[in-house]
Amino acid sequence: MIALHNLTVRTTGGHVAVRGADLAIQPGQRLGVVGESGSGKTLLALSMIGMVPEGLQVDGQVLVKGETIAADDERAWRRHRARTMAMIFQEPMAALNPLVRVGDTVAEPLRLHLGLDRAAARKRALDLFEETGIPQARRRLGQYPHELSGGQRQRVLIALALACDPDLLIADEPTTALDAQVALRITDLLVRLSQDRQMALMFISHDLAAVSRTTHDIVVMYGGDIVERGQTVRVLSDPAHPYTQGLLAARPSLMHRERRLPTIPGTVPQLFALPPGCRFAGRCARELPQCVGTRPPVVATPTGQAACHLPGAGQT
Amino acid sequence: MSYFLARRIAGFVLTLWAVSIVVFAVMNVLPGDPALTILGLDSTDEARAALRERLGLDAPVVQRYLAWVGGALRGDLGQSYSFGVAVSGLIAERLPLTVSLAISGMTLTVCLALVMGLTAAARHGRAGDWAIMLFSQLGIAVPVFWLSMLLVLLFAVKLRWLPPGGFPGWSDPVAAARALVLPTVALALVQSAVLARVTRSAALEVMRLDFVRTARASGFAPGHIMWRHVLPNALVPIVTIVGLQFAGLVTGTIVIENVFYLPGLGRLLFQSIANRDLVTVQALVMLFAAIVVTANFLVDIAYVLIDPRLRAGRA
Repeated sequence: MIALHNLTVRTTGGHVAVRGADLAIQPGQRLGVVGESGSGKTLLALSMIGMVPEGLQVDGQVLVKGETIAADDERAWRRHRARTMAMIFQEPMAALNPLVRVGDTVAEPLRLHLGLDRAAARKRALDLFEETGIPQARRRLGQYPHELSGGQRQRVLIALALACDPDLLIADEPTTALDAQVALRITDLLVRLSQDRQMALMFISHDLAAVSRTTHDIVVMYGGDIVERGQTVRVLSDPAHPYTQGLLAARPSLMHRERRLPTIPGTVPQLFALPPGCRFAGRCARELPQCVGTRPPVVATPTGQAACHLPGAGQT
Repeated sequence: MSYFLARRIAGFVLTLWAVSIVVFAVMNVLPGDPALTILGLDSTDEARAALRERLGLDAPVVQRYLAWVGGALRGDLGQSYSFGVAVSGLIAERLPLTVSLAISGMTLTVCLALVMGLTAAARHGRAGDWAIMLFSQLGIAVPVFWLSMLLVLLFAVKLRWLPPGGFPGWSDPVAAARALVLPTVALALVQSAVLARVTRSAALEVMRLDFVRTARASGFAPGHIMWRHVLPNALVPIVTIVGLQFAGLVTGTIVIENVFYLPGLGRLLFQSIANRDLVTVQALVMLFAAIVVTANFLVDIAYVLIDPRLRAGRA
C-alpha cells in the first residue's frame, strides 16, 4: 500500500538522518516503530505523508498505492493526505486550531474533501466523536479545544484523522504527552479502530510496552538505520540486535525491583558524529573491528531481520 | 463577558472625559485673543470686551468647561467665529466626506495589507517575499503628500483617468466616488505598507504552530490553510495595529483633504487653525480624539470576538 525504497533523508549540512530505509505497509497491518529521539522514526513517518520539513533532502522512492510520488510534489501528496494516509502527532494541546470549535474542525475535511453539506458533516462528525469514545459527544462538538482535556483532544485529533476513512493512520508518539491511564485507553482505541476499519496503523513510540500492546510487527531504529525488524512479540522476546537487547534490558520490570537498571553506555551521538559503519558502534557490547567502518548487512535472524555483523542472543 | 464589556465601556467613557479636559485646557492657554481675531486690529477695547462677554470668554474656566461639555453632549458645539454659523452645522456638512474617505481608506488598507502580508509569509525567504517587503519599505519611507502629488501627476494630469482634486458633491454618486479614488489610494498605500509587515510577521509566527501542521496533514490547500487557519490566529496583532493606524488615518485625511481640495473635516480643521477659530478647532480636535478612542474601544471588543479563550478568561 505504502512502500519506501532506499529512502534517505539528509540535512542541509549533508548529514544523514535516515539512511537507505526500506519499508512496506500492508493494508490492515499494525506496525510499531521504536527508537530514541533522533533515531529518524519521525522523519520516516513524515516521508510517508510528504511532510518532511523544508530544507531536508529526500532521496529514494516513495510508492503510494503503486504510484511513485516525489517528496516535493505537494499536489500529489495533497490528493492522498486524509484519504490514503492520515497522521496524528505527539502534542494534542497545540495540534488543534484554538479558535475553531472541535466539531467544526472535524467537519472541515468532510466538507472540503467529501463535499458534505453542513448538516451531513455535523452528523458524521458526531458519529466520529462517538466512535472515538468522546463522552457527551453532542455537547463536545460545540466546544473549543481549551475546554477539553488532553486525552479528549487526542481523541478529537483521531476523529479528524479518520474523517475521510484513510487506509493508513500514522500515530507519532500519540500518547507521550498524556498520563499513563489515558495513554493506555488511547492505544487500545487505536487498535480497536484499526481492527474495526481494516485500517493499517503505524505506531511510533519509544515506549516498548505500548508498542507491544498495539502492534503485530515492529521496526527498531537507531541513528537513522532500521536495525531490526520482525513480529513484535518475537522480536521483543528474543531480540537479535545488540541495540534492541539493550533497550529491553533498560526497561523497568516488576520482577527485578531491587537491582539497578542496566543502561546502554553513552548517549545517542549527534548526526554529524555518527560512525560511518554501524551507527551503534562505540556503544555496542559486542563490537567487532569492522563495525565502525563497514555498514552491517541485513541478515535473517530467528525472529526476523537485523542489520548487524554479529547478530544473536546476547546476555540480556 | 458582561463584566469585561462593562469595564471596557467604563474605560472608554473615562478616556473620553480625560481627553475633553486636555483638549479644553490646551485650547484655553493658547495665546491669541479671539475677539481681536474676529474684530480686526483697528477695533476698540470696548468692542472686544463686549464680544468676549457675548462669547462667555470672561467667565471662570471651570464654568466655561462645563458649559462646553454640556453643550457638546446636547449636540451644541458653539458658534464658529470665522464662519459665523453653528460649528455642529459645519461638521455635519463635512462629516460624510471624511468618514467615507476614512472607511474606504481603511478598507483598502486592510485588503492590500492582508494580501501582501499573507503572500509574503507564504513565500517566506523567496523572491515574492523580498519583492513585497521592498515595496512596503518604500511605502513606509514615502510621505503621503508627495505620493498624492505623484498619483495626481500620473492619473489625473498625464493619463486623465481621474479628477485631480475637488469634490462634486453627493448628488452624482459616480463623480463623487471617482473623486475619492486617488485620495483613498494615497492613504491606503502608505498605511498598508506598515500593516503588511505586521501581517507577515504575525502569520509567520502562527505558521510555526502545530495546528497548521495538522491542517496540512489533513490535505488542505495552502491558500485555504493561510486564510482559514493562519489569518484568524494572526488577527490579534493585526487588529491592534489597525486600531493604532486609525489615528494615523485620521491625521492622514487632514493632509489628503488639503492636497486634493476635498471639503472635509481635515480641511475645515486646517482653515479653522489658520483663522484662529478656537471654538471650531476645539470641537474638531475633540471629535478626532473621540474617533481614535472609539476605534481602540472597538479593537478591544474585537479581541474577544476573535478569541474564545479570552471570553472564557474574562467572563
